[in-house]
Amino acid sequence: MYDNEFFVVDMASCSSTGEVINSLSLALETLDGLGKKIILKLNDSYYNQSQMLSIQSLITSYGCTLDTIETTNEQTVKVAENMNILVQKPIEKRVEEKYGNETGENNFAYFSMTDSQNSDDIPLKESDELHFEADLDEIKRQQDNIDIKSDLQNLGIDAKADFSQIEAQTSVSYNSDDVSKTLDDYAKFNEMQRETSSYNQNLQYSDENSQSVDEQKIDEVENAQKKSIGVYKKAYDENLQNEQQWEEVDFYETETNEPIISDTKNTTYINQTLRSGQILEADGNVVIIGDCHPGSEIRAVGDITVWGILSGIAHAGYKGNNSAKVRALKMNAIQIRIGDCYSRRPDDTNIPYILKTSIFTPEEARVVDGEVMLFKINQN
Amino acid sequence: MTGSVIVITSGKGGVGKTTTSANIGTALANLGNKVVLIDTDIGLRNLDLLLGLENRIVYTIVDVVEERCKLKQALVKDKKNPNLCLLAAAQTRDKSALDADQLKEICTQLKEEFDYVLVDCPAGIEQGFQNAVAGANEAIVVTTPEMSAIRDADRIIGLLESKEGVERYRLLVNRVRPKLIKSNDMMGVDDVVDILSCDLIGVIPEDMNIITSTNKGEPVVNDEKSIAGRAYINVAKRITGEEVPLLDIEETNNIIDKIKKFFSKKAQD
Repeated sequence: MYDNEFFVVDMASCSSTGEVINSLSLALETLDGLGKKIILKLNDSYYNQSQMLSIQSLITSYGCTLDTIETTNEQTVKVAENMNILVQKPIEKRVEEKYGNETGENNFAYFSMTDSQNSDDIPLKESDELHFEADLDEIKRQQDNIDIKSDLQNLGIDAKADFSQIEAQTSVSYNSDDVSKTLDDYAKFNEMQRETSSYNQNLQYSDENSQSVDEQKIDEVENAQKKSIGVYKKAYDENLQNEQQWEEVDFYETETNEPIISDTKNTTYINQTLRSGQILEADGNVVIIGDCHPGSEIRAVGDITVWGILSGIAHAGYKGNNSAKVRALKMNAIQIRIGDCYSRRPDDTNIPYILKTSIFTPEEARVVDGEVMLFKINQN
Repeated sequence: MTGSVIVITSGKGGVGKTTTSANIGTALANLGNKVVLIDTDIGLRNLDLLLGLENRIVYTIVDVVEERCKLKQALVKDKKNPNLCLLAAAQTRDKSALDADQLKEICTQLKEEFDYVLVDCPAGIEQGFQNAVAGANEAIVVTTPEMSAIRDADRIIGLLESKEGVERYRLLVNRVRPKLIKSNDMMGVDDVVDILSCDLIGVIPEDMNIITSTNKGEPVVNDEKSIAGRAYINVAKRITGEEVPLLDIEETNNIIDKIKKFFSKKAQD
């Protein structure tokens, strides 16, 4: 199981990087940690990128990988995110955030559930026993509901890491083989339950996160509205492999997708490459079978569709139609202008010429809230 | 405040007018002057590419002349240095879109607000050249140590002398290779100056960094390691009136040779 893959290393007591590295190397030496993933618990002090890198390289030198970092320091979190290391808040913190200090009835129910496998071994206090029996049916139902394995598959690695900790702790308590479990064990299990529910909460938490990100995006869009020349953005995540997920951001499902007025206009077909210095002006839509080199310009009252690489300037709906669209097999336009919205190519992708052998990702540019955005064209 | 309008011209193509404009402009701006670069090579614009400002151009000099926008709207600010502005040429038109009086008017307007107005001249001696020179009161003639470039530079100097506005012209010898000069395969800088009998403003050695910087859209003066960059900074200082001795290309080249030897030795080991 997961406790075989993950190691939780608690370095919260160490205050400096030197201390961390020292005790980490000691810990890794004593463990046979080849090929394991390390979950590093750090305290709230700040570790910069170079310090983090040295910690990471130490771990890799022992044949392990640094998988997750547990810290409360926000700057460290940022550094870790830059280095593609997963970050989670310490368990105590997460429980506090989600539950406060309250431990409701659920806790007890859940405890009994986890314990039901070897409940025979456990002598219970009378009052607790009563409660336990009364709740047993409900507990079983809950047990069915929480199918941990399937949950794990659905969750990201973050949750996996969480769960491995719980697993590790449970295995410890089972292996102790102490038949006479005391109230201390209750407390332990209570804590365990809290952890597990916080792990369930993680799901919701991530959902909330994505929602707030969406809100942030909308805010950004609103702020950028009044710029005369903005940067055109990709409305989808380029690195996203899962097709089901990018269907959610597909433009056909967004509300702003209004019927295109310019569809009714006549269309100009051009079957040649547009070179530098050439302008193509059209009353209606434009379809170009070929490339548009940098320095060329297309102005159309309607939509522009380029069956090739678009590297010049494209101005769709140039008599003020903001619902016009620009489509291309490969979008590398210096500027995309739609109606009265102007946007330029981002500086980090400022490549004048694109090789014809490159991979084509058909994209469509539309105006969303006054800003030109790129959408992947759905190939279904 | 009245700035000076400097035209950068050569006659022959491919000697490095645009590279010189971009680098001197950036160097002058880095020295704290307000600089505007005007690209008059309409239809074959390249200056925006060298500065990496290609994607920011909305209005061009032709739009200004044809009154589709105001002059200030057409000025594109540099990414790094706010002192540097570019007035781009139109790519979709030709040289006849502009005439000499219009450019003179633009230059006089810009002179009021900027310390230096650098005009990048197109190759040739036709309309484009006449336009670019119209507003200038100073000229930098770029040439390389080759017979063809020198002959064209001679012609250009002759034309500049007959212009009324141009008070002063100086020579910039570009793409000098000290090795070839040493082995008598290339004309020396002194010979070039001697033939053209003209003041020298600077000597720029051949530098591989120019090619990479052109492709990156980042002038070579921002790269401290480049010899050409340092030579261009010296030229900019001379424009501001500072007296800077000529960069000893041979010595720096010797250092490079030493480094090359060092690496070739290492490779052999």
